[in-house]
Amino acid sequence: MKQPKPWWQQPGFRVGIALVLLILLGGAVSAVYLTQIPPEQPIAFPHNRHVGLGAPCAYCHPGTAWGPNAGLPGIDKCWGCHQQVQKKSPELEKLAAYVANNQPIPWVPVAIQPEFVHFNHQPHVSAGIACETCHGDMTKMTVAEPQPRQNMGWCLSCHQKMAPEQWTKLSDCATCHY
Amino acid sequence: MAEQKAPQKWGLVVDLDRCTGCNACIAACSMENNIPFVGEDEVAYGRGLYWLYNKREWRGEYPEIKPAFEPVMCQQCGNAPCEPVCPVFASVHSEEEQINLAVYNRCVGTRYCANNCPYHARQFNYFDYELPEPMNSYLNPDVTVRRRGVMEKCTFCVQRIVRGRQKAAAEGREVEDGEIQPACVQACPAGALVFGDVSNPESKASQMARNQRRYQLLEELGTLPRVTYLKGGGRYGG
Amino acid sequence: MSNTLSRRDFLKLSGLGAAVSAVLTGCGPMARYIVRKPYTSMPEYNQTGLSTYYASTCRECPAGCGIIVRTKEGRAITIEGNPQHPVNRGRLCSRGVTAQQGLYNPDRIRGPVFQARGDAGRAKAITWDEALNVVQQALASSPDQIAFLLGAAPDHLFDLVSEMTATLGAPAPVRYNALTTFEGRTTLLEAARLTFGEETLPYFDLANADVTFAFGANFLENWLSPVAYTRAYGEFRQGRPTRRGYLVVFEARQSLTAGNADEWIPIRPGSEAILAAVFNRLVAEARGKPVSPAFSTVTVSAAAAASGVSEEKIRQLAQLFAAASHPLAIPGGSALAQADGLMTARSLLYLNAVVENLGQPGGVFLTPAQVAATDFAAVKELVRRMTDSKVKVLFIHGVNPLFELPGALGFGEALAKVPLVISFASFPDETALASDYILPDHTPLESFGYQRVLAGSDRPAYSSFQPVVVPLYDTRATADVLLAAVKQLGMAAAQAFPYKDEVEYIQQKLLPLIEAGGFYTAPEIFTFWSRWLQYGGWWKPQAELSAPRQAVPPEEAFPFTPPVELEEGKQFYLITFPNHFGDGSGANRPWLQELPDWMTTVTWNSWVEIHPKTAEELGLHDDDVVRISTPFGFVEASVYRYPAIRPDTIAIPFGQGHTALGRWAEGRGCNPAQVLPTTTNAAGDLTFGSVVATILPTGKRRPLARVESKEGIYGEH
Repeated sequence: MKQPKPWWQQPGFRVGIALVLLILLGGAVSAVYLTQIPPEQPIAFPHNRHVGLGAPCAYCHPGTAWGPNAGLPGIDKCWGCHQQVQKKSPELEKLAAYVANNQPIPWVPVAIQPEFVHFNHQPHVSAGIACETCHGDMTKMTVAEPQPRQNMGWCLSCHQKMAPEQWTKLSDCATCHY
Repeated sequence: MAEQKAPQKWGLVVDLDRCTGCNACIAACSMENNIPFVGEDEVAYGRGLYWLYNKREWRGEYPEIKPAFEPVMCQQCGNAPCEPVCPVFASVHSEEEQINLAVYNRCVGTRYCANNCPYHARQFNYFDYELPEPMNSYLNPDVTVRRRGVMEKCTFCVQRIVRGRQKAAAEGREVEDGEIQPACVQACPAGALVFGDVSNPESKASQMARNQRRYQLLEELGTLPRVTYLKGGGRYGG
Repeated sequence: MSNTLSRRDFLKLSGLGAAVSAVLTGCGPMARYIVRKPYTSMPEYNQTGLSTYYASTCRECPAGCGIIVRTKEGRAITIEGNPQHPVNRGRLCSRGVTAQQGLYNPDRIRGPVFQARGDAGRAKAITWDEALNVVQQALASSPDQIAFLLGAAPDHLFDLVSEMTATLGAPAPVRYNALTTFEGRTTLLEAARLTFGEETLPYFDLANADVTFAFGANFLENWLSPVAYTRAYGEFRQGRPTRRGYLVVFEARQSLTAGNADEWIPIRPGSEAILAAVFNRLVAEARGKPVSPAFSTVTVSAAAAASGVSEEKIRQLAQLFAAASHPLAIPGGSALAQADGLMTARSLLYLNAVVENLGQPGGVFLTPAQVAATDFAAVKELVRRMTDSKVKVLFIHGVNPLFELPGALGFGEALAKVPLVISFASFPDETALASDYILPDHTPLESFGYQRVLAGSDRPAYSSFQPVVVPLYDTRATADVLLAAVKQLGMAAAQAFPYKDEVEYIQQKLLPLIEAGGFYTAPEIFTFWSRWLQYGGWWKPQAELSAPRQAVPPEEAFPFTPPVELEEGKQFYLITFPNHFGDGSGANRPWLQELPDWMTTVTWNSWVEIHPKTAEELGLHDDDVVRISTPFGFVEASVYRYPAIRPDTIAIPFGQGHTALGRWAEGRGCNPAQVLPTTTNAAGDLTFGSVVATILPTGKRRPLARVESKEGIYGEH
């Protein structure tokens, strides 16, 4: 007499598990994909146009000169120029609306550090590292795009190229992780 | 003075003759380092998260009795017993600062390091301790908030060390003696705690550590602690 | 394919599952879940990514230490000591560094409410306009039926209320704080008036003394200005290369101060006065000085019999004191809370004159601030007026009398007889919940103000308050509320207070300081104001305290009250002592709850300290719950066998036992105010030091969470 198949050999169960795995895999793939595309910003800010016109990065992100965070520009910074320099565009009308309501622009940061990593712009800027080394070529982007493969190995590979007597400090866990 | 066999940098000197046991160091440490309070039952289970605790021992018999206080924090051993036992390298030695680090995101919670620490310096997060709104507003953004299942301990306020070093570098100078102070040292009302670079024999901490009252906790274990205690001068032991 | 799922396949599957869930949950920046809103217009004091530091004043106790608050993006992060400030010189105590837990306490009162004395059915939120009308009508009632009850800090609000009551013709504000009672502050002030001819707090130069006798003054914990005295204590021990100070503390229960002393002399409570007198006689004799008549009849044998200290020990200590080059005697705390407390204080202050240390390094100075006494007798009088229905309106600010005052005083019943009670509390404390209206003041880190620094500073000093964050809730400065209400009153009262707001009032009060020779000055008030806020206050550039011009001993022989005789094994002296909760307002700071007690390492609860030998005789063990009864009431607490206490004495800490004050304070431990008497000494201070209690086991057991056992006290787990 034929033995009934154990439950994990039932076709229904196998189809089910395959479906679950497919969904999980699909979720994983899409999660990876989603972290690699630029998030939707409240205003599709054209970095390429501003940088192309010669605006230095530190004009809008001045915190790099003295501290850990670069900072995101607020409406007063934007409006300082754009109340003079205006062209009709839907994005600028969004800006005008924020200014009219005195609302902060809810920017979505792109280059952020995970938990337990403390990055300080100031030493890097003082060491003469150009912004595009880490943030990519802004003349080719509208909204900021996340840069792929920026993990700890990438940080260390750059630190390794610095002066050898600095290597102990630049490779030390406590320099970034606390 | 025991011969140091390992390179050293940051050191802490605790003058027990000045220490009154007031516990301001514990409170300052907790607020600086985002240490959660765990509540009465958890403290009773021995799960209180004190990166720095005050060891109180009764010395003598009534009426000639007095408490001996000894603030104990991570001793930042040069030869740390917690380091070799971690299976995931979450307890590592900082070559630059010469302190022991707890790498929270590597930690899997085996607690081997705490079992191997002769100073009871390592604390374990048994639970997630959430601060109710809006109390989370005071969390220090310079210090990672730990989650459950993670070992944690005194870091000599490494965030202040790094900030002080980067500030000095930005101003093109060396770090001055006494410029960097962990939270406990800064608060100590009696001036019992002195922090400094003990690789520099001229620093205040080095000078104090050469005192004839000096001793280190469980010196005989060869852990090469970076914390030096100066004996109290009281009548009943100390 | 085999019929069974092989172990290998199972591992493969679970590995895949783990990898998938890792990708889904952990890895990759979570960028799109974060939104950052930049300032619409960045305040000029703010720099992206950097902290902003504000100088202000700690108001967790009345000492007035200077603080620097580190803020980031409008949040108060850490509190550090102000290194310039003459009181604390950059140092802080555990209460000061945890003050953010008050600011960000989730149980704060978030706006004005009609509280209806806890009647939840009628309680409702009101607007500030309605609140102002209530205050205005209250102020318009007959002046002699208005009463103000304020905290002990000598701040701008006290000055404003004093001026206001004077203008209105109402009685001057009454001030109370449990800490001032535990300090024996009124007794000390009165003793200074009688001995030195000036009613100011003495400043004891502990840092330069070499032999110090302290009677009950727990200056390392709470007494007058603990951070200043702890700083001085450090110097006293190790600040001088060749001399180490020698500290002797006389008290029945070893406090933290006595625990740090070189000698702790466990004297019988109530024998302080005769002991102080005999030291006066012995030291004067040893130094070849005439013995004042008040002390000439005291004998060593009588003092030894009263105090339980051997004659030999008394003579030896007197010799030690007389032979020292910088001896110092400090009276305070529980030693003054006896029937003869004023005599103790006078004798000890005069002892300093006998050894000629007045105005000398390591001696006694007088602080400049003239302080109106925070008198327990005045509170008693207020309660009597309330009970007699002579008070129609009671304003309460900065004090929690239902918790802090002895239960036997009957403040609760008296409060019920007051038709209108307006509380300005920031937290839902016992008194606020029993009042008609709560019109919440800003918490200290949100408000402007000044405080005259009292006892801890070696120079004249004013300490400044400034907001370090924008007020979190719909609260309003009490000074602003009062000014606005007076303005609405119209008439002469309004003309007397022409100030736009609190800040203008403070600035007007600061005007005399511009020319007073501080370490900075300014051509006009606005420049002065900005420096005032920047430095955290105003003070003189160098130490400047006056020496007492005269020293008068007590006039004649004093009939010492003998210590209360106990029925052995049944009755015990009961000592109530404050710990790091101060006046009890610290109990809603969770980290203060979690902070181990200095001596017992108990957290989150109350306990009763009993000598191990006594406990054994009574058959009591650690954690047994006992009932402590006095003629005035009873409390229940777990036993802690405390080896450093007289076997005939028991002790309970003050500060727990709240029935309100939010989630961390409520229903925790016991409030020993319930067992305190209401009797006063000759200076008008509460004599909490001479209470006799009995112990009754309840058969219950409640373990205390003690840190002294690192393994925990719940046993195996």
